[in-house]
This record gives sequence, structure tokens and C-alpha cells, in this order.
Amino acid sequence: MTRRAQDHLHAFLRALAEAGVAASSPKQADFLMSLVASPPADITGLYWRARLTLVTDREAFTVFDAVFDAFFRGGQLLVEEPTRVPPDAEGETAAPNAGGEGELEQLEPRSGSGVRASAADLRSTRVLPPTSAAARNQLRELRATLADVLPVVVARRLRRGRRGRRLDVGRVLRTANRRGGEVVTLSWLRRPPVPRRVLLLVDVSGSQRQYSPDLLRFAHAVVRATGRAEAFSFGTRLTRITADLATPGVDRALEALSASVLDADGGTRIGVALEQFLANGRFLAMARGALIIVLSDGLERGDPAAMGAATRRLARLGHRLLWWSPLACDPAYRPATRGMREVMGDLDELAGARDLESLLALVRRLPQTTARARRTAARTWEAVDG
Amino acid sequence: MTAPADVSALAACSIEELGERLAQRGYFAEQGLLTAIHLALVLSRPLALEGEPGVGKTEVAKVLADVLGRELIRLQCYEGLDAGQALYEWDYPKQLLHARVAEAEGREVGELYAERFLLERPLLRALRAGAGAVLLIDEIDRADSEFEAFLLEFLSDFQITIPELGTVRATRSPVVVLTSNRTRELHDALKRRCLYHWIPFPDAERERRILRARAPGLDEAAAATLVEAIKSIRGLALAKRPGIAETIDWAHGAAVLASEGARWPEALQRSLGLLLKDQEDLERVEARHELFAI
Repeated sequence: MTRRAQDHLHAFLRALAEAGVAASSPKQADFLMSLVASPPADITGLYWRARLTLVTDREAFTVFDAVFDAFFRGGQLLVEEPTRVPPDAEGETAAPNAGGEGELEQLEPRSGSGVRASAADLRSTRVLPPTSAAARNQLRELRATLADVLPVVVARRLRRGRRGRRLDVGRVLRTANRRGGEVVTLSWLRRPPVPRRVLLLVDVSGSQRQYSPDLLRFAHAVVRATGRAEAFSFGTRLTRITADLATPGVDRALEALSASVLDADGGTRIGVALEQFLANGRFLAMARGALIIVLSDGLERGDPAAMGAATRRLARLGHRLLWWSPLACDPAYRPATRGMREVMGDLDELAGARDLESLLALVRRLPQTTARARRTAARTWEAVDG
Repeated sequence: MTAPADVSALAACSIEELGERLAQRGYFAEQGLLTAIHLALVLSRPLALEGEPGVGKTEVAKVLADVLGRELIRLQCYEGLDAGQALYEWDYPKQLLHARVAEAEGREVGELYAERFLLERPLLRALRAGAGAVLLIDEIDRADSEFEAFLLEFLSDFQITIPELGTVRATRSPVVVLTSNRTRELHDALKRRCLYHWIPFPDAERERRILRARAPGLDEAAAATLVEAIKSIRGLALAKRPGIAETIDWAHGAAVLASEGARWPEALQRSLGLLLKDQEDLERVEARHELFAI
């Protein structure tokens, strides 16, 4: 390999790192070794050798392709413009001037540098007020209650137990060995019950503005208390917030959240958000057999049919699908909006939750809720009317 | 058909020749996958394959074993899989019986942790296979992440230590293929040790070749329609996009109906259940009759 070729390759590896798809040094060594052991005949050959050895994730393919083209196919290395409008949840880039029949959302005057201001994208971050002492007590109680009320499932893995269905032959023999070859007690293997995963979908859109801080505090308590819970927030887009919520300390967690939840207080497109959730295989695995709780008022700005279809699928995936809405706290409330009418048939419960107190009451009632037959929410609400 | 070649011979042949050999055995790979297999043999690295279900990830290992004339050893992963089930276990009941019999006959019990009480599990078997093996670690994403960590050790050294017997080393290191359906992200440490390739859905030409090889009874026009239909169906927003395996099943199903006297468009439509396994997907595709016109 000539000196120039070497420099070019190293510059290529550096450019990859700068573009955010850095390859570790053993991978880089693999790449160079592959060039020596099996020299590529053409650029396509080089492309495959580079991609196979350097990239370990499908998501990185497009970035990699751009850098590769720039270095070996004579393309231009595009520098991303900082002011580019990111594509929305449907993968379409919003026009700079939204107009025509598209609904315009109201612009609220905010103070700021003006750098992030844009008429098309109402992404905003929000600072949440600190948690009061009373709220902390309620959260503590929530965490303590959760362990006893969640529905359970038989564990996949065998654990040691006093009784069980399978003899732990290995253990019996090992203890027998220690006691001169006599079997004195039997050890068993069993599948103990473990709590099901909880999947929370929290609506953080504008219509939920006054409730979302408490809903997020609730989500924090669930994630911290159960270990296997998953939480997502949605407004106009879907965000996985489990990692942020796992931060100890409720205020610290909420602070971390306000940095990642970009669509707080924007519009609501529940259908799109749920479809986005269902389109991801990894997320699907989290919903399977889980206790799914949607915390939303169900005021859909998008297509109610899409929301209905997505909810139906979610209901089939999960163990139970509960919909807790702040509006349902009002005795006069009826699920009459088109969106709610679409989903009612698939819900296992529709109940009111607007603050930690009402959430705590619902959590305490979970054993009864999950013991009922499935998809009974509609019937329960019909009974309310007479 | 070319006779099986050993690893070094196969590594020495060109990528085109490798493609030729796989094609003879009914596997039609694109250039990316061929390069991946080639490099896996040249650099002796494990090959990590991802892709939608049914694009032929598992099949790669089978056809490789065939081409190399090696034994295929498969480790199917599942949640809760542990080292014992992957490596080796001692046959406790047999040991116990042996001890009891020896006692009853008044003989020495002898060595209980001997070769004959050892139950070989896939990983150990892959190491001890005399002529080398192709080890397929299937659907690794189903196993727990602890198991992945354990695999790291195995894949870097190709050796296993059994405390009672000593260390087992591979006489010839196995060719390793890992597959994942991406239900969960694999650890970076594991992927770093492997060559990573995402197998895409095949293009129309390749899919036609696959169908010709795997479903020989199909007539040409029907095959062309089928491939076109599949392409459009994959473009729809379905809950589960059909893979190659389903396409072949579909072709077989339609061929059976056609041989019983059904017309092709009708046969294709009636056997759709072999392609799509979800009621809503079925409805969505059935509504589009123009897909099945020949």
C-alpha cells in the first residue's frame, strides 16, 4: 500500500469517528487486515470490506455510506446545516411556512435567544416545579404499594425452593456427597411468580399541561420501584424515558427528562405516537404480556381511526390495557370524543387520574382491576349511564 | 456440484467462486453477504447476521456446513439459557446409578467425573468435533445478556475449562455464525468481535432465482407475478413483512392448488395464508386484487 493510500484510509477512519460512527481499534485493525488478506477488486469490494468490519449497527449505515461516498466515490461530504428542520414523526419534513389547511398551533411568546425559534416546530422544553414534601410522602407510599398489587406471571427460570415440581438432582447429590452418600433432604426447583412488566405511555402534550408533572412523578416511582418497568412519553413524537426516570431522586429525574422530552406542551397525535411504538420490534417486546397503562386525556388531533387500530394491537399484545385520563375524574365525563369511542372497546379500564392521590387510589385497586374479564371498560361505562 | 472444500481452500477462492458454490447448493447471496462470508473465513472471525425474520440467516450456516463438508452444530437460544445447557453437564442420574451398582456388587466406585458421564452440549461439541464444525448460535437476542457475556470468552479463545477434566481446546476452530432478529440490541463487545452484516430483502432477480431453485413446479409467469406481488406487499405498512421462507411456502401452496385445477391468480390469493400470518395484514393485502393479476 502506498503512503498516500495509507493516509487516505486513516483520514477515512478519522472522518467516520467525526461523523459519529467511530470504530474501535480492533475493528479498524480488522478492516486493514481484510484489505491485506483479501485485496478488493473494485470500490464495491472495498465498500463491503469496510462496512462489514467497521460498522456494527444497522442504524449507522446511512452515515457510513455518506462518509464512504465522500472519500472513495468522489462525493461531497455534506456538512449538516444547524438550522435544518428535522423530519416529523411521519418522516416528512415540515415546510418552513406551514399553511393551507394544516392547523396552526398558537405561538406563545417566550423569552430566549431566538436561535431555536421556528414557526413550524413547536418543540419546547419545560422546567418542572420541585416536588413538595406531601407529594414525596405519596410517592413513597406508591413505591411501597406497587410491589403487592402488580399482576404476576410464572417465572421462566427455575429457582431453588423448598417445594416444587422438579427435583434439583445436582444439588441433592452434592449435599448427599457431603453427608456420606445419604440423601437426607430433597431440593426442588420451582418457577416462582414474578411481577409482570409495567409499560407506561405518558401523554405530555399541551392539553395535559397541568397534570403531566404528577404523571411523570408517578412514572418515576413505578420505574424505580419495579425494576422491569418501561416508560414512554408522547405528544407529537414518541420518546423512551425509562433511562432518564431511572435516575435516583424524583427532581433530578424530572430535570433529566426536560432535556430529552422535546415535545412537552405541544399538540397530541396519539395514533402516530402509538404506531411509532408498534413499529419498533424492541418496543413491541416490552409490551408483550405487560400491564400497559396509558396516561392520557385521549384528545386526538390526528386520525382517530389510526389511534383505534394502534390501541387494538396494543391491547392484544399486553396482559391488560388500562387508560387513565385526568378528564375521567369529573363525574360528568363520558368517553364521547371520536378518539375515545374508537378505543373504548379494547380497554380493560378507563378511570380518572389527575394527581398522585387519584393515581394511588387506582394503584391500590389494581388487583381487582386485573382480576376482571378483559375489555370490560365499555360495559362499565355503559352501566354508568343507566 | 463441486466437492466440499476445507476452510483454507474456500478462503482462497474468489468471492464470485464462493457465490457459485453457494448457488449450486440453492443459496443465492448478494455481494455483501458473500464478502462477509469470505472475510469470516479469511480472518477467522465469527459472523453476526441480522435481518428481518425469514431472509435466510439460519440458512447461511446450513449451506456453509454443506460447502465445507463439516458438521452443523446448532445452539438455539432462548430466555433463561445458561452455561450448563450450552457447554456441558454431568449426567447425575447415571453417576448415581453407577455408584449404587458398584456398591451393591462390592466393587470400587472408581472415577465418577469421567468422560462417560459427561453430557456434551453444543459449544463443547463444536470444540471436540474432530474435523471442525460450523457452529450456529441462533437467535442470540432471545438469550439473556449474561449469556452474551459468557459467549465473549468462548468466542475469543475457543476453549472451555472443565474443572474435573481439564481444558478442552478446539483442534480446528469452528466457523461460527450468530443470528439475531433484533428484538433487543446486542452488546457492543460481542458485535465488536464479529463481522456484522444486515441481510436485506432480496431484489426481484435474486428472489426469482431462489424461487426457481426452491419451488421448481412453478410456471414462469406465475413466478414473475409472485415476485412482483411480494415486492409490493413488502412496501405496504404491514405488522410483519413476509420473508423469503414465507414466499417459498406461498409458492408451494399456490402450486399445489394450481395442480388441482385452480387458475393461477385464484391459487395465489387462496394460499395467501402461507405468506401472511396476521388477520389485519391479510385484509389489507386481499383488498388489492391487482397484485395477483397474471
